[in-house]
Amino acid sequence: MDDPLDFELQDDLLVPLPINKKRKKVIGLDDLLNEHYKEQEKLAEKQKKQAKKKAKANEKKKYDDEDRKEAHLNRLVEKCHNQLKAFGEENEIPVWGVEVFGEQKPFPRLDFPDLGSCNFIQSFLNNRLNSVVELAADKGDSFLEGLLVNGWLSKLAFLSGHVEKPVALWAFNSMLYSSKEELQNSSSDFWCEILSSGNEADQFSVKVDWFPEYKDLRSALDTYGFLFKFSSSAAHESSDSNNGGPPQNIRAWIRFVTYCCRIKSKKAILSTIEAEEIVEIIICMFLDRRFQGLLVLLYDCLQAVVDYFTDQEWCSSCENVAKFIACRVSEDLNCIRTVECVSEDSSRCRQLRSAIAYQTMLFCFDGANNGEEILKSLDAINLKHKSCDFFKLYIHLVLAKNWILSNNSVEDNEVIHEMFCSFLRNCSTFISPTDLRSYASEVRHKASYLLNFSV
Amino acid sequence: MENPNRARIEDDMLLTMFDPFDASKDATQDTIDERLAFLDAVHASSIGLECGKPPSSKILGAVFHMLRTEKSLQLIVASYKLLVDLEKHFPRAYLSGKDDSLSSSNSPPKLVVAEEAWSPLIIGLDNAAGVGGASDKQSGGPLDPSSFHLLIEELAKTLADSNIKATSMKYLQSLLLFQYLVIVLEGDFLPRNATMNWSLQRESLLNMLLGSRKMNYKSLMKYCMEVICLLCQLLENDLSKNVEVEKSSESDTGDIALSLALLEVLKNTRASIEKLLVMIMALDNSKKKADIEGNTSRSDGPRTPLVDIILDELAYCKDNIPLFLKAFSEPKWKLEIVVQYLWKYITKPSARTRRSNGVNEDTTFDGALKCFSNNTGTKSIIKKIGADVVQLLLAHGFQELNNCGFQAQLSILSERNTNDNIGGDRNEGASALVDLCEAFISAFDSLISTDGDLEILSIGKEALFTAATVISIKS
Repeated sequence: MDDPLDFELQDDLLVPLPINKKRKKVIGLDDLLNEHYKEQEKLAEKQKKQAKKKAKANEKKKYDDEDRKEAHLNRLVEKCHNQLKAFGEENEIPVWGVEVFGEQKPFPRLDFPDLGSCNFIQSFLNNRLNSVVELAADKGDSFLEGLLVNGWLSKLAFLSGHVEKPVALWAFNSMLYSSKEELQNSSSDFWCEILSSGNEADQFSVKVDWFPEYKDLRSALDTYGFLFKFSSSAAHESSDSNNGGPPQNIRAWIRFVTYCCRIKSKKAILSTIEAEEIVEIIICMFLDRRFQGLLVLLYDCLQAVVDYFTDQEWCSSCENVAKFIACRVSEDLNCIRTVECVSEDSSRCRQLRSAIAYQTMLFCFDGANNGEEILKSLDAINLKHKSCDFFKLYIHLVLAKNWILSNNSVEDNEVIHEMFCSFLRNCSTFISPTDLRSYASEVRHKASYLLNFSV
Repeated sequence: MENPNRARIEDDMLLTMFDPFDASKDATQDTIDERLAFLDAVHASSIGLECGKPPSSKILGAVFHMLRTEKSLQLIVASYKLLVDLEKHFPRAYLSGKDDSLSSSNSPPKLVVAEEAWSPLIIGLDNAAGVGGASDKQSGGPLDPSSFHLLIEELAKTLADSNIKATSMKYLQSLLLFQYLVIVLEGDFLPRNATMNWSLQRESLLNMLLGSRKMNYKSLMKYCMEVICLLCQLLENDLSKNVEVEKSSESDTGDIALSLALLEVLKNTRASIEKLLVMIMALDNSKKKADIEGNTSRSDGPRTPLVDIILDELAYCKDNIPLFLKAFSEPKWKLEIVVQYLWKYITKPSARTRRSNGVNEDTTFDGALKCFSNNTGTKSIIKKIGADVVQLLLAHGFQELNNCGFQAQLSILSERNTNDNIGGDRNEGASALVDLCEAFISAFDSLISTDGDLEILSIGKEALFTAATVISIKS
């Protein structure tokens, strides 16, 4: 079988090529010598290469060593970094801020007053001048807007000494629900002008047929999305919810409430309980970061509402408001915000500030019944201990400071004052300046500042 | 107890609480907190104390620096509020003996000036070299007259570009800065002006600011008018949409806060500009009075009265007339402007008497109305002023006169409390009012009959409606 097939024999192509030709050459001595030299060269080269390899290997080993060291360092650095980061995370205390406004509800339709029921418009329809003015009962809306925006409406009100109910109601609604900035401003100016008219004593210079009640103001807030039952602990998660926030009308609302409160001697629009609720609402607005720019409006309003109460009412109302706020605000920077948003410029506000701080502390120190007990438990904190929560301590320090220093009657209580001072001394002396835990330095600074300048 | 050392220590301590001049520092929450604490401490150590003293210049400078350079809304607003509160609490100037006792009411009240008070405006250093307007603006220090001019110029330009969106925080800052400066000028000027003593009036910040050679007074006034007109125009075109702050993805809350703040501040800016203009016109009046009495000297220098500048500007740019009259709401001066504008184009001998007896607008507006009693007079006025402008002027003049008349009526009512007098006075006031309304209506009638194609503007219709209604109520 191994024999070539007969036809293959004839095939020249398959004839094996004459490979042995070279071999036919006679090997001479020279060739051998050359070969020997070549071998030698190769050998030398090989040795060289090996040496090189060896050297390289050595070097690599050296590098490896360095790498190992570097990695070690790296690991160390990373570890430190992570520790720092952990520190930082611990440090990352959320800023104050509670969204007290949620989704807006649909605004009520702005009904123009039935002009037929407005005497002053009705009586004009038959005037000869109507051929020029061309006022018609059914399309008086834009005309009325013009009267308001150009300031005629308030002039008419003062000249006639009378604001009819449909006009008052319409102006009130366009102040709170119109989306036109100009109309909002004009109607709010109109109302504020009327409310602040007349002499100080007891009378408006204008007879107003209709005044809004608290429920009108409250339902406007409800429409704006105000969360009457907010709780600040749940608020952090919802902070990135994408509701549009309160409408621009809220500014007119705040201004209107401010004016309402200033005219109590002429017209008491709010009952005591309603005024209490307004104080609470305004403080809640201070908590919402979206109101940061309206600081001046809010301060004015809070001052006006606080002045609305009689002296007898104020004592209990102040406490009611403080309790309401205290049990709703979580024990973080928010509760400091609720205290510090109340200005220190009037004695009532200082009293309110102190009361909110006190009630919040009572709430924080569950089980404490009075101020002395609170201060005792503050004093008992071991500042040297590793687990000392300086952030909490900071909050308590700020609250205690506001509770005690904002209210003269508390400040004059010697026992409390002495205990507070000793607490401050502890904070400023026992916390080491090198304590790097979060808020340790804040507590120390605050305490020594207060010791030096306030107590 | 009080010693200057302690005060200085307290200052230093306050200032070490943070580094107010380190603007490069990023506004992290920590630095914001530090600065807020600083503001609180300043408030507590001045207004908070029962007999507190104003903070030192160093501290005030630091707070002012924050108002000008901070980037956080909370800090800008807080520093603005603190500065305004301090201004109210520690007035730069006030009249003593005003509410002390009735016995001293015979002697004129004395002006008390806080001489050493820190001021956000540096005036009177005209010759001092160095303080360049532009570089000063960056540094966040007090403003000199040229940077005050620059500030208002920028307010106007930004409004004109309707470019508020892009730079809203910066713009809010400029607006608040302007409002604060007007409050400072006002706090210094009003008590000085009340003394009716030119030597005190001329030393007011306002007078020195306007007289400064570092600034062009006329162009400043033009920019003020531009701002107030543009504001009015924006408002008509529904400002809120214009100012709707661009949604940046990072913080929705901040955007809403900014747009709420911006609209509120814009609304107040109109009032601030008006305050500034009214103060300047009052200063012009005082100066004119001092001139007549021979109390001015050459160093006072000439200055075109603001009313004249406004009249020129309105005549030059008629489109601004409706806006300016709508935006400028102070009754007395608005009436003055309207009346002078009208009389500029009415050639009547009574125009001559106007200047000599000063504030007698009542008759002059009436007088102007009478010029519309015949066709030729009406025609010539329409030809000179234009039918629309005549309507506007008449309507606004009528409105403000109503206002003034009403106030006069009220003051009569409150002054005389006896019952039998009230009836008589009310009738008297009412009949004058009815006369005015009738004169106003007949002027309009004459306008209509003279110009057959006359299109009555909506403000004209509203004025006619008011006049007719008043007549039906009062007669």
